[in-house]
Amino acid sequence: MEFKLEAHRIVSISLGKIYNSRVQRGGIKLHKNLLVSLVLRSARQVYLSDPCPGLYLAGPAGIPAPPPQQLGEPAAGPPAGWGEPPPPAAGASWADTEPQPEGSAVSEAPRVGDAVPEATVTGVGVVPQGGAADAAKAAWSRVEGPRQAAAGEAEGPAGGWGVFPLGSRASRRPCGCPLGGEDSSGTPAATPRAACCCAPRPAEDEPPAPPAVCPRKRGAAGVGGGPTSFPAPGSTPLKKPRRNLEQPPSGGEDDDTEEMDTGNVANLISIFGSSFSGLLRKSPGGGREEEEGEKSGPEAAEPGQICCDKPVLRDMNPWSTAIVAF
Amino acid sequence: MEVESDSHIHMCWQVLSARTKKWPLADIISTVEFNYSGDLLATGDKGGRVVIFQREQENKSRPHSRGEYNVYSTFQSHEPEFDYLKSLEIEEKINKIRWLPQQNAAHFLLSTNDKTIKLWKISERDKRAEGYNLKDEDGRLRDPFRITALRVPILKPMDLMVEASPRRIFANAHTYHINSISVNSDHETYLSADDLRINLWHLEITDRSFNIVDIKPANMEELTEVITAAEFHPHQCNVFVYSSSKGTIRLCDMRSSALCDRHSKFFEEPEDPSSRSFFSEIISSISDVKFSHSGRYMMSRDYLSVKVWDLNMESRPLETHQVHEYLRSKLCSLYENDCIFDKFECCWNGSDSAIMTGSYNNFFRMFDRDTRRDVTLEASRESSKPRASLKPRKVCTGGKRKKDEISVDSLDFNKKILHTAWHPADSVIAVAATNNLYIFQGKIN
Repeated sequence: MEFKLEAHRIVSISLGKIYNSRVQRGGIKLHKNLLVSLVLRSARQVYLSDPCPGLYLAGPAGIPAPPPQQLGEPAAGPPAGWGEPPPPAAGASWADTEPQPEGSAVSEAPRVGDAVPEATVTGVGVVPQGGAADAAKAAWSRVEGPRQAAAGEAEGPAGGWGVFPLGSRASRRPCGCPLGGEDSSGTPAATPRAACCCAPRPAEDEPPAPPAVCPRKRGAAGVGGGPTSFPAPGSTPLKKPRRNLEQPPSGGEDDDTEEMDTGNVANLISIFGSSFSGLLRKSPGGGREEEEGEKSGPEAAEPGQICCDKPVLRDMNPWSTAIVAF
Repeated sequence: MEVESDSHIHMCWQVLSARTKKWPLADIISTVEFNYSGDLLATGDKGGRVVIFQREQENKSRPHSRGEYNVYSTFQSHEPEFDYLKSLEIEEKINKIRWLPQQNAAHFLLSTNDKTIKLWKISERDKRAEGYNLKDEDGRLRDPFRITALRVPILKPMDLMVEASPRRIFANAHTYHINSISVNSDHETYLSADDLRINLWHLEITDRSFNIVDIKPANMEELTEVITAAEFHPHQCNVFVYSSSKGTIRLCDMRSSALCDRHSKFFEEPEDPSSRSFFSEIISSISDVKFSHSGRYMMSRDYLSVKVWDLNMESRPLETHQVHEYLRSKLCSLYENDCIFDKFECCWNGSDSAIMTGSYNNFFRMFDRDTRRDVTLEASRESSKPRASLKPRKVCTGGKRKKDEISVDSLDFNKKILHTAWHPADSVIAVAATNNLYIFQGKIN
């Protein structure tokens, strides 16, 4: 569990750094951003491989949701844990399934709303290092108990990712709280949640009925601009339609000023435009833009900017986009 | 040679000069470099200025000057620029200064910011011509019709004036940020390296350069490493090395091909899997690489250690010296406050028997390769009274803190020594601590 906390915190810090690098004098530093993205990848791998309660989006309590229809899911098959907390023995299988072909489009799991968000991200084709497998195994054995307890707690799509305080928010409040805090979307504040200092709840608290929320008409519509429907500045050619509003940010934020605001993520994504790094993907999944030709906003026009991968972005929810992209 | 047997680093290091400024941010020193003779010391700062210090000649009339360094010349090398096409500001911070070997009375140095390299000529003028025919002493032109007699101008002494003039400007060759320049031993060419490419220039030709290394992947999404430093071999004009963010060093021979993407030698130490953490990649990134004066060895600096490599052995370094291993458990905090991205430099002494590098809390470390001893010293105003000797410092890594030790948690991470330089022959070192420059002289005690 500690791994997850640490990983969580590091991911949020890293995203904050990348966000802040936009405004640094002298342009974006390629070296530093490369290193940050490597850290982000490592942290994300550990985070994904360290199962935690609340991260799994089951339907009715205890009943694992069926694996979602996955658009463009590679032949490797859905990663273990789709729609249900993977059994401990699957720790190994996590490691096995993770090295999927990079071309795998992002899974549609969050769309269904009950899939394991990390599977989504995994599906993006991040190739974890060998060490992740060990961490995964260790994390598995540790977390098994709470997992059961949390099985019944539904999570909105991208709920798991809602854990990540992003952007500036992240840098302001590094979260050390147990990730169990995200469990209780519909349930009365679970203890971990109350104890959570930053309570990075996803905005979409409301959907314990995940399937209802899910259908997001993703497809070729492209990556969402997020709930605030902030259009990505010059996000050519990948148009980000106003994704929004299936997940209004207002959600469960009223009670807690520290609620996660998906608008933040949306902004983050929009601001970065299509200048995401496919760094985490070893092979180009699809149309790649020459960074010289990239026009997605001034920050992306910087020669050191790293390009996005359109098909990847197209098929992911904003949360996953933000995470995976870096 | 009893004197030599004692460790270089355990000399008595005394303050020679301490230039401390209370000026704002622009004066953070960003590079320090002695010239080939050691008589001149150049510093570049974040504001684009270059300040050159000259060693006073020790003479009988001023026995106490002891070869102090005083300001010789100051000039603005680079100005902030704006790239309109990309809407980017180009910082004026001087990333590197490299001297050219002296060939005549003037001194030449290369200074670079993120995008542009400039060749500066620093020359002295101590004579002035007087008695021109066509202009009077004020410089006003005289009406030729009024000249009734001709005279020959004569040279008269004047107060020494040191002028710096830009002789060449090497621009528009780098898409990414320049991190290194290195003058070749042929004294005609030099290389400049940015994150992904290394270019070879001729000192006389500014409108073109040759690209000799290009590690930019066809698909930028596949980018996994960048170039962090590059240097020419001190004697073999066809050999250079470059280090990467992955902790590897490649040695290339320009005779093998025009584009040296394929290295001749590849230096990498296998990673210790037990010490793997989130930040393993960051701390293995090499921030500086320097050939020894002999050309037989080279040294690389990563975040926590300095490694000495034998050019003939690629599999692992000859020596590894821990600079501040106590920071390994603090990597997460150092990542948060960005200190983990600090790029420390390293340097050899003239005889290659000792190496020096900086750390935090205004500490810098010296390692003696012969005796395997090391010392930690502090460059600060308190310890820099004239003729005061530096006291070795110690960082307490755990357990009870002894008197005079500093605990890891009390280290000031804003006071970092990134740039140090060692006189090419003498026991004189220059240490840049943020916006202060300290010059210490070592005396055998």
